[in-house]
Amino acid sequence: MVFFSYSCDLVGYLTHNHQLLEVSWWNLFVSAIAIFLAVIFGQLEAGLANAYPAVKSVLNLHSITGWSLSAIIVAIAAWRFVIRLRDPLRIPPAYLGVATFLLVLVSFQTYLGTQLVWVYGLHIAPVVEAMHRGIL
Amino acid sequence: MINSQLGLKLGANQLPYTVPIHPILVHFTLGLFITAIAFDLAGILFPLEKPILKFLALRVVREGFFHAGWYNLLAAAIVTFFTVALGLFEIMLANPLANVKSSWGLGVEQTMILHGVGGVLLLMAIVSMTVWRGFQRYYWRRDHPRQVQWSYLCVGILLLGVLYVHGTLGAQMGDEFGIHNTAANLLRQGKNPNLLLR
Repeated sequence: MVFFSYSCDLVGYLTHNHQLLEVSWWNLFVSAIAIFLAVIFGQLEAGLANAYPAVKSVLNLHSITGWSLSAIIVAIAAWRFVIRLRDPLRIPPAYLGVATFLLVLVSFQTYLGTQLVWVYGLHIAPVVEAMHRGIL
Repeated sequence: MINSQLGLKLGANQLPYTVPIHPILVHFTLGLFITAIAFDLAGILFPLEKPILKFLALRVVREGFFHAGWYNLLAAAIVTFFTVALGLFEIMLANPLANVKSSWGLGVEQTMILHGVGGVLLLMAIVSMTVWRGFQRYYWRRDHPRQVQWSYLCVGILLLGVLYVHGTLGAQMGDEFGIHNTAANLLRQGKNPNLLLR
């Protein structure tokens, strides 16, 4: 949703389509709420995961980035709210700059989370089974 | 095998790249479609929300929810073409264990066929919904304060249920059968991921 909110702001900025700016705001608003569910379930599942030594550094970084993102998204959404309150038809380039940083951070976080599941196999049945049998 | 025909160099995860892309794109499809329906629902139920929104001092124009419902759905339809395309590519390269049953009692072949065919059908459903939604927005209900029909919303909510079942089948392919999972495939080859993935 952060991605889509950004796309809408960017296209809205370039094409002066103010409907898209409204779409951007609502997507960011929902994402600022939804990220807390993501972080809470992430923390829960990370705690339950049997992380073998090779996973630890990626898992720690994923946790730190996740908690940081929840704060950063709320802060940026608050800024977006003020921008919309002052002038719903315009989006300042400075905001787009900061939102680009957020986009990079979300991409990084997605990359880490994807690695945890698809490379390291956390919570993947054959891997969990191997740990129970003491192979891993 | 398809990979020998295409001359692809596959890693331990049976893919020509490090992590599968379909599971990432799926999050875009789901996030955009679910919120598209949710925003339209918020638009339809607007009179009920009014006191709450007023209490929260959120400035809301009813139209804003319908804009969000429309653009989110349009984006969902576009991104889902890529989701399904990558899904079909990656399912062709799957090389799973054949003797395991999922928690729904389905074998891996059955699960893969259901998820593959279901994915194409769901793409068609999402595109049809987008066309339907577009007609409501730009022709039939252009000046109507309630831009979407209840029937549209009901079909949308029904589709959320179908997406849930479909997504669970897909998750079982990754989580229970270990398809395209590097660590699971290394273990299958008798190698230790803890030593190789450092």
